[in-house]
Amino acid sequence: MVERYYLQLAEAEKAKRPVAYMLVGGNLTEIVRSFGYEVVFPEIVALNCAIKHKSLDNILQAEAQGYGLDVCGYVKNDLGLQSLGGDTPFGHIPKPDLLVCSFSGCYVYIKWWEALAETLGAPLFNFDVPYQRTEKPLKEDVEYMVAQLWDFIHLLEKQTGRSFDMAELKRVLERSRRAEELWVQYLDAGRNVPSPIEAYFEAVFYMFPINVLRGTEEAVRFYETVNQEVKVRLKEGNYPVPEEKVRLVVEGVPPYTNYRTFWDFFRKWGAVSVAATYPKVGGLFDLGFVHDPARPLESIAEYSLGAYVNQSWPLRRELIKKYVHDFQADAVLIHGIKSCRSFTAGQGDLRDWLIHETGTPTLYLESDHEDPRYFAPAQIKNRMDAFFESLEQRKSTAAAGAAAVSGVRVS
Amino acid sequence: MTLLQIHENRGSARVAAPNEEPSVPTMNLSSDLKEVRATRDLAQALKLTMELIQDSSFPTARAWVAGGGHAAAFFPVYTPQEIAHALGLLPVSLRGGGEDLEITHADAALGSFLCSISKSTLELAITGKLDPFGAFVFPYICDVSRNLEGIFSRLRPNAVTHMLHLPQNFTSASSVPFLVAEYGRLVEKLERLAGQRLSKDALADSLQVYNRRRALLADLAALRRSEPWKLAATELNLLERLGDLVPPEVQMPVLERALREVKERQRPKRDAVRVILVGPFCEQPTHDLLSLIEEAGCYVVGDELSMLHRWMGDVPVSGDPLENLARAYIRSPVDIGVRATPMPKGVSIVARAKEAEAQGVLFLTAKFCEPALEDVVLYRKGLDDHKIPYLHLEFEEKSTSYEQSRLQIETFVESVLFD
Repeated sequence: MVERYYLQLAEAEKAKRPVAYMLVGGNLTEIVRSFGYEVVFPEIVALNCAIKHKSLDNILQAEAQGYGLDVCGYVKNDLGLQSLGGDTPFGHIPKPDLLVCSFSGCYVYIKWWEALAETLGAPLFNFDVPYQRTEKPLKEDVEYMVAQLWDFIHLLEKQTGRSFDMAELKRVLERSRRAEELWVQYLDAGRNVPSPIEAYFEAVFYMFPINVLRGTEEAVRFYETVNQEVKVRLKEGNYPVPEEKVRLVVEGVPPYTNYRTFWDFFRKWGAVSVAATYPKVGGLFDLGFVHDPARPLESIAEYSLGAYVNQSWPLRRELIKKYVHDFQADAVLIHGIKSCRSFTAGQGDLRDWLIHETGTPTLYLESDHEDPRYFAPAQIKNRMDAFFESLEQRKSTAAAGAAAVSGVRVS
Repeated sequence: MTLLQIHENRGSARVAAPNEEPSVPTMNLSSDLKEVRATRDLAQALKLTMELIQDSSFPTARAWVAGGGHAAAFFPVYTPQEIAHALGLLPVSLRGGGEDLEITHADAALGSFLCSISKSTLELAITGKLDPFGAFVFPYICDVSRNLEGIFSRLRPNAVTHMLHLPQNFTSASSVPFLVAEYGRLVEKLERLAGQRLSKDALADSLQVYNRRRALLADLAALRRSEPWKLAATELNLLERLGDLVPPEVQMPVLERALREVKERQRPKRDAVRVILVGPFCEQPTHDLLSLIEEAGCYVVGDELSMLHRWMGDVPVSGDPLENLARAYIRSPVDIGVRATPMPKGVSIVARAKEAEAQGVLFLTAKFCEPALEDVVLYRKGLDDHKIPYLHLEFEEKSTSYEQSRLQIETFVESVLFD
């Protein structure tokens, strides 16, 4: 499916299909697709480059152009890739005809899209998404966004010469809704003990359709298949690790450059992520939101507000606490990355809150998602080993204590 | 011990936090801040301002609160402080902890890869230096400022905190109504601190006061642009920063007197390079670094050091003052890193350099400041196209050694003068 997507993108320029660049958080994929655009998500291209160990070449190219060490790795991967011609191991990334900046949860989005607009000369639309500071969206915020969406629709009509088709948008949103419900069904499987899913490393792969192909039948079919697979896993007792010893909630962006290595550090200890925040960067569907074809633009606005990093810290803290409780997690692992201040600024405070105000064992690690120079495997492994060892000890002490109370001897 | 406990213990039971800074002598002022009014000349006013900036215990806010008032703290870059003023609060601009503050607690809360100002601001809060403030406002100028509000809401649960979402869409007809609603949320919170409702008349009066202050500062900046030998960049910076700490009514007589005094100054014109400083709109370079730039052969004829005072011109006072304030923000022509750009960066920087009749551009960006760093590449391209020379320096609050910077600036100056 991913290959097919990139193949289609690679052919877009030859086929003269218009291309829009979009960001994952708060994206407007349904509207843009309804006007016949192919959609490129440079963040996803960047993470694919990192997994394929190609991000450093692009980053170094951007640094040679003057982008400093402290600039986000996604930005540098994309700008470097553009400057190198746009060829990746998974296909050619076409130039944009339109840049859609959904300013939802990341200030760098604005700077990045400005750089693309100035470098590539494509028109830029800024969709300003207010920061989410209350559990429910505020009426004024939604009105502001709906007004902007109409401006955006008029721009698309002008760019493409096509008329906006509300009925088509509603049909697309209906497919989005179905995919979203199925995605939540998959994520909810992490509540099982043991968990049949890996809600971080595996879910990251399964995020692709919910962010990139939302609104298509393909996305719906994908999640139907995935959920069928989860059912089989449960029936056959086929779990992510042979013996689930530690149930984790994971917060933060994965180190894509060392994805497998990082995952192995978990597996060694029988640690499984049962819930994670990162797969919610495109939307917190598990909190009850799904697109509503009966309120098309309002629900798109509400969707954009709901990107995980567009939530205030009090909301993020409570969500993680809820995950720990609802998914019966033993601990929280926080992975902070150098590149992303939006995700990371305050994660140390989160650790402090989790440990001291909720009594949850928490480990905080730092590296980067795009730049392999910031991933120190030995140091990270040492810290994880020490953390998991102490958790194991804590569990056995608790089990011994419980056994002593009940008079059962524990060997 | 948790960060919260450190703060609470230090605040109430006076238990020293681990590695807490030894107490330093702090300045005590009268509640009407007559000490500022009593300064006789510019030199005295600048000296006092420097002492106020260096005293991390916020003497003006302490004095104001001791006199029965309330103080509200605002993170850079732009915030509508007129609202706090109209409610009788003392608005104070947070500008970091300066070079003398030791960071011992904030690193743990914020992580490694963040700017100095975020850490020093949090450090000030954890160690009780921000206790005089009953409100903290963080505008969405970057993700770090935005996230700080969430940390402060935990650290100071009884204080008012607000993350102010300033729009980044300046073309939508809905931007002004949204910002009015957003300001309305801030008003409600500040009213709780002030213990009174905001009246339209009071806000209109405050707009007038702030208009006058902006006009005075604009006059000083214009004077520096036309005759930079008469007013050093450090002097203008201190005059502006006095307004971070005292009400405009206290600052304005100092500004009026400074204007008169500077006009009369007889100072020799130096063979210096006219430059604009780009990048330090939030975290501030040290006074020493600013001095060095001029000592090394530059006249700073434009900068981004105190954009709060330059964000807009006169705000109309008739009609709905809150809407006028919102409209002025949306319509501002200011083009800096924390605001979506209305025109290509390269065009913008060249226009700014030409308007200031600058011979070069000094990029002065804070370490880890992405909004500033990401613009530099585009700015440089525009400057290259127009053959305008530039130099890029990075700084942190705790920079102490400037030999490398001096060398770079002197080389830059020579290359411009002898080109």
